[in-house]
This record gives sequence, C-alpha cells and structure tokens, in this order.
Amino acid sequence: MPDPREAENVKGVTIPLALMATLAAGSALAAPTAETIARNCVVCHGPKEAGQLEIPKIANYPARKMVEMLTGFRAGQKEATIMDRIAKALTDEQIQALAAYFANQ
Amino acid sequence: MRTSRRSFVAGGIAASALVGLPRIARGAAPRVVVVGGGFGGGTAAKYVKRLMPEAEVTLVERDRQFVTCPFSNYVIGGIEKMQTITHGYDKIAKRGIKVVHDEAVGVDANAKKVTLKGGASLAYDRLVLAPGIDFVWDAVPGYSEAAAEIMPHAWKAGPQTLLLRKQLEAMRDGGTVIIVAPANPFRCPPGPYERAGMIAWYLKNHKPKSKILIFDPKDTFSKQALFFESYENLYPGMIQWISGKQGGKVTRVDPKAMTVEAEFGEEKGDVINFIPPQRAGKIAQLAGVTDEKGWCPIDPKTMESTKVKGIYVVGDASIAGAMPKSGTSANSQARNAAAALVASLRGQEPPEPSYANTCYSIVAPGYGFSVTAMYAATPEGIKEIAGGVSRLKAPAKDRDLEAAYAYDWYRGIMYDALG
Repeated sequence: MPDPREAENVKGVTIPLALMATLAAGSALAAPTAETIARNCVVCHGPKEAGQLEIPKIANYPARKMVEMLTGFRAGQKEATIMDRIAKALTDEQIQALAAYFANQ
Repeated sequence: MRTSRRSFVAGGIAASALVGLPRIARGAAPRVVVVGGGFGGGTAAKYVKRLMPEAEVTLVERDRQFVTCPFSNYVIGGIEKMQTITHGYDKIAKRGIKVVHDEAVGVDANAKKVTLKGGASLAYDRLVLAPGIDFVWDAVPGYSEAAAEIMPHAWKAGPQTLLLRKQLEAMRDGGTVIIVAPANPFRCPPGPYERAGMIAWYLKNHKPKSKILIFDPKDTFSKQALFFESYENLYPGMIQWISGKQGGKVTRVDPKAMTVEAEFGEEKGDVINFIPPQRAGKIAQLAGVTDEKGWCPIDPKTMESTKVKGIYVVGDASIAGAMPKSGTSANSQARNAAAALVASLRGQEPPEPSYANTCYSIVAPGYGFSVTAMYAATPEGIKEIAGGVSRLKAPAKDRDLEAAYAYDWYRGIMYDALG
C-alpha cells in the first residue's frame, strides 16, 4: 500500500525542478516537466485498464521508495532488466519530481 | 443537423462582421485533423483531445482495423493469432474523437484542407500526419507490388503476415527461407532479425532440417550481439547472416525462379521474405513535407514540419534524429507533438519534450531482450540522453522476464494509443 506521508515529504520538489531547469547547462536546454517525462513511464507501467500483468504498477507508489529504486537502478546497484538503462537518463531532480508525481496519481 | 434559412443568414452576418480574424479568435473550436491511425496517429488524436477537450479532433484512417507490426513476427512464428494484433477504433471514438474511415489523398496547406478519396474535404487549424511508411517497390530489379504476392514483405501487418505464415507452413522440411533485410533507415530496425528467430522457432519444432539465410546490405544491425547470442543458444547452425561486406546486398530478384541475386552470388529460396526500402507514406509527399530522400524533417522540439508550418509529422515518416522508427518512438513523439500543437493553438510556447523508446524482441517463447533510450530535443536534432541494450549472457530468468514485459509493453502502448 502506498504511504501518503511519504508522498508529502517530497511534494515540494517539483518547484526546485523548475528552478533547476532555468539554471541547467547555461539555460541552453530547458527541462521537461515531471508529467512530460512520466508519460513515457506510463506506457509500460500503465493504468490498470491497460491490463498489464508483470510490470509493476507505479501509480500511488511511495515517493521515498521510488527515489531509492531509481537511484539504485541508475547506479547499477539494484538488479534490473531494463530500468538500469533508463534511469541513467534521469537527473536527481527529475527522479525526485517523478517520485512526487507518481505518489500523487 | 438541419439549419433553417433564417439562422443561416443570421450566422452569415455575424461571421462577416468578424472577417479577417482567425477562426479560432472568433471563438470557434479549434479543428485538428490527424491522418493515420497507427501508434503515432492514435496517440496524437487521443492526447490532443485530452489536453484540449474543446478541440474538434478528427482521425482519418483508411482501414477499419489496426493490425500492428509489433507482435506480427509471433504470428509468423505460429505463437500468436491475427486476432491478438488486430484492434478496432471503437474505444478511441468513445473519447470524443471523430474517426473517419477514408484515405487522405491531398493536403492544401494554404487553404488548410485535407482531401479524402471519398470526395469530402476536412478543414483544419492544425494537421498531424502519421502516415507510416510506403515501399520503394522498384528499388531492386525484379521486385514489385505484384511480386510481393510471391515474395511477401510482411512489413505492413495484415494479409501479408498471413501469406508469409502460410508459405512457411507449406514449405518442405529441409527448405531454405531467405530474408532480405533493407538498408537504413527503415521501420523497426531489429525486426528482420527477430523475424529470423521466430521463423527458426517454427522450423526447429516442425521442419528442423531447414535453414534461414539473411541477406543484408548492412554490416551491423540493432541488438546484433544479442541476436547472435540467441541464435547460437536456441538455433545453432540454422540461421546464417550475410553482411554487406560479405556481399549480402541484393541486386536482383526473380519471383518466378524464386531466386535472389546478391553481390556474393545467387541463392534459391523456398520461401523468400523481401523487405523493400522505404520512405514516408505518400500523403507526406503530397503535403510537401518530405525531403529529397522521402522522409520528413521536423523541429526536434515540437515535431512540426520544417517544410510546412501547421503540419506535425510523427512516427516512422519523420526524421527524428537518434530515435529508431518504432511504435514506441511514434507514441512518444505523438504525445510531445500533441502538447506542442495545443500550446500553439493557445498562443503559448511549446513545452520542453521528453522522448523515449523501448523495443522488445522475442526470439522464442520466454526469450526476450530489449533496446531502450531516453532522448532530448537539441538544436542539432533529437539526441539520446542514455540507454542501451539488454546484457549479454544474462540469466534465463531475465530473458523470460523481458519476454513477459514485451507483452505488457504491448498492452500498455495499445491502451495509450487507441484505448
């Protein structure tokens, strides 16, 4: 079961992300919002209407746990088939923002 | 709806008072037309409607059903039925999208109108083209649209998929299957090699003396080491790949003699799967959004054509930098294009896109692997941020899990695009 308190802990991080976006790489590149990135995740980790059987659901996923998972995947410390490769594309801020986004789905 | 003469006249006067203002500025619902009901077009229609419920979204699709290329290799291998890869448009129609089963045969970008084969025309404020691919039939002497009935391409799923399947069923044990792979760029880069695995699965179980030859103009291909590893593990000695360097480029085919002539020499096949070179679907060419090579250059941030403003091109037809021509790429491009298109209708700046691709290949039941990446828009085009392929020598449980994930990916993308 998702723990709503964990979601609360990181709710504010979407604002630093926006801030980071303007600061990032001499502001040459803007950053996509958490929702824009998250839409990619949802294709495989879909809503229950999609009828997926094996891939873990991530809507309402506890934020702290998701941060732990994604940073673990990114570092290659957590066993994965595919998420280790995808997580390498995410910044710390994006991981925080995605965790906050999915915790509130 | 019937319009009385009086209300028509009154409407005319009201409209004339506002002449010169764009239609949307007069408060009319924006009209978005999407041509092509595959992964790109379905997703674009669905997300425009989701982001802008007041928009009139029309999806133009020639066929009543969408038969997907993903998983069509499993039909060819005898593992899945056509029913698994055949989908209707009823669900997306229930989301308030008008689905028109007709063929777009012309685009007037100045008048902002799409002409349909049935005679009607559709006015638009923004147009999305998701026409997929067309074949360059005459690229190799001897091949033609008619020849495809003898040497099926099976690169657009449907009757061609079944034709190839039936030919394999009818083939004698000890026969030779030839797969002719195309040069880059083409739809589904790992597809020919997944197909070799799937055909090998069928042959190993039913016609084990048979062999498969892959003729290729290329010297490398997608997930190559993983495919070779899987062929060696599952089908030792059955599949032979002849690269460009080895003379694998096909220079002529003869459908009557059932021969394929390559730079290294000639081979006779019992079943020949010829995958022709490709270009963007014809409507893209008619709309004036293709380049000299037949593909569509786009703005990496929005997927809007760099040739014609107001037209967005998503999916296989587009030149999307590092992104492969895949269902997932089309789906991801379409979501980002929908957001950019809606922003433009609202007079806003387009949001920063986030693109992704995942392609699973299954070469036997319970044996799958993948390539995946995330991409960003840069001034030089769409570039990969990070990604990669499944590990070589991974434990069997990983291959099994990835095969199961492939099915889940399919369920997910079908839901996101047409559900």
